[in-house]
Amino acid sequence: MRLRVENLAFSYEDFRLEISSLAFADGRVTSIVGPNGAGKSTFLKCAASVLPAPRRSLFADGKDLADLRGRERAKLVGYVPQEPSFTFNYTVLDFVLTGRAAFIGAFSSPSVHDVSLAENALHYVGLMGRGRRPFLELSSGERRLVLIARALAQGPDILLLDEPTSFLDPRHEVETMTLCRRLAEEKGKTVIVTLHNLEMAVRYSDVMVFMKKGRVVASGRPSEVLSEPLLRDVYEIDMKIVECAGRTFFVK
Amino acid sequence: MSGSASKRSGWLVWAAFALPVVLLLLSLNLGSYDIPFKEVWATIAHGPASGPAAASPAADIIFRIRLPRLLLALFAGAALSVSGASLQALFKNPLVFEFSLGISYGAAFGAALSLVFLGHGFPPQLAAFAFAVLAVLLVLVIAGRSVSQIVPVLLSGVIVSALFQALLSLVEFFANPYALQALIFWLMGSLSQAVWKDLALTLPVIGLGIVILILLRWRLNVLSLGDDEARALGVNVKWEKGLVIAVATLTTAAATSVTGVINWVGLIVPHLVRMMVGADNRKVIPLSAALGASLLIVADDIARNAASFEIPIGILTSVVGIPLFIVLLKRSGKIWL
Repeated sequence: MRLRVENLAFSYEDFRLEISSLAFADGRVTSIVGPNGAGKSTFLKCAASVLPAPRRSLFADGKDLADLRGRERAKLVGYVPQEPSFTFNYTVLDFVLTGRAAFIGAFSSPSVHDVSLAENALHYVGLMGRGRRPFLELSSGERRLVLIARALAQGPDILLLDEPTSFLDPRHEVETMTLCRRLAEEKGKTVIVTLHNLEMAVRYSDVMVFMKKGRVVASGRPSEVLSEPLLRDVYEIDMKIVECAGRTFFVK
Repeated sequence: MSGSASKRSGWLVWAAFALPVVLLLLSLNLGSYDIPFKEVWATIAHGPASGPAAASPAADIIFRIRLPRLLLALFAGAALSVSGASLQALFKNPLVFEFSLGISYGAAFGAALSLVFLGHGFPPQLAAFAFAVLAVLLVLVIAGRSVSQIVPVLLSGVIVSALFQALLSLVEFFANPYALQALIFWLMGSLSQAVWKDLALTLPVIGLGIVILILLRWRLNVLSLGDDEARALGVNVKWEKGLVIAVATLTTAAATSVTGVINWVGLIVPHLVRMMVGADNRKVIPLSAALGASLLIVADDIARNAASFEIPIGILTSVVGIPLFIVLLKRSGKIWL
């Protein structure tokens, strides 16, 4: 297993995240779903070391993430936040280049090789020729793709995407999730996404993890794990699962 | 980046770095004592201690008065601008500059303390430097664990500036008229105090600080994304952020300790550069150094030659810089890039 979670416990204020055991295989897309405040983003931030997870709780390729230096960890795990939080309007290429930080010394600048990798990443997500454009002139959907391109330029085998489809129109939702699938299938990446859209989760994931109040309630293949009682337990509302034209829909 | 665009920006950087050097050489003939260009070049060619030119009034004026003064303008302009640009990137806020972290008033209080109470035994430059550093440390201590967030840091900067401003007023209240005059002159900013003895101590510090910040220029792109993202990208945020703050503080404090308070340069120059070349700190940091150095040399030329008396350069940078900045902002239609 590429990413393994063992007895992960993390608390802040009155919230506590507690996951006893979870594993994520390579070449798979795993969706983590659950209501707001379930701990989905907190888990991703712990795995990305944005939040300090305790020792011996998160292992990437068998290595304890807490024991690794920042740059070693960043070569294994890439994190895609919902929105970039910068003030200055960098060009798309300059932004994607920041994904190479783990490979470039503090007193150095990106090499031609780094630029070429960043351009390749932009090409892969379908944004070739947009490198010189200012980031803030892009649409929300394009910005998400740039964020994913940056994680690709970083080159890790594990990709953590925090709600990559939120606030996107249906077309960009599908494009983003299709890209996640391609990353798993073509590049063998371990793709872990947090999602609110259950239909997207079922359609594009190999595995679904249901979380509630900081704990994992259920996990497994969508066809095996999905049930109306589980949805009622997790979301605390009645939902009907409807199969139509080979797709799964949820009626609230 | 295409080959020709890369070549163009390479030329731009070299041209920008040549500008302050050319301006410095051209400024050597400006001043109340008229020295023709020919004589300036001949004197420079002979050097300070060789041949008959060394004893001439022109050589004395050039090597003892104008050159140290212009070198100070070059280094101080570059220091204030580079530090301003670096701190703006680090704190993700284009409104941060030396004033925001309490450096200006910390230095002002230090100098005041020295000029009014400690006399000649304790150089005002040293006191200004020490209190500027102390002001930043206070800001960081008050911001505490929220040091990664801009609002607590700016608020702490306002508090510390207000504290040192009050203490400065207290010193002014007790100062005798002569000390008060010297203090007010220092507070308005001036390059006229530039002597080789002081510069030998401060210019290497300023120069080293500028070089370190220029070397960190690309890293500032990563750090400007915020602590969380930079950490996820593999950056040792605590160490690298601390390094930028320490170097920017020491560089600015070293410059302010010799020049007095010269505000706005650290805010205006990085903005002008971003308007010209975009936000990439690989260009913004070195070009800020070049433009800041050029700007302060020109400002000092005006300060020395515009009137029969010398205009304090701190006043000039504010009076000329602020309207210019407003016009540029209005024209570009952008607050920052």
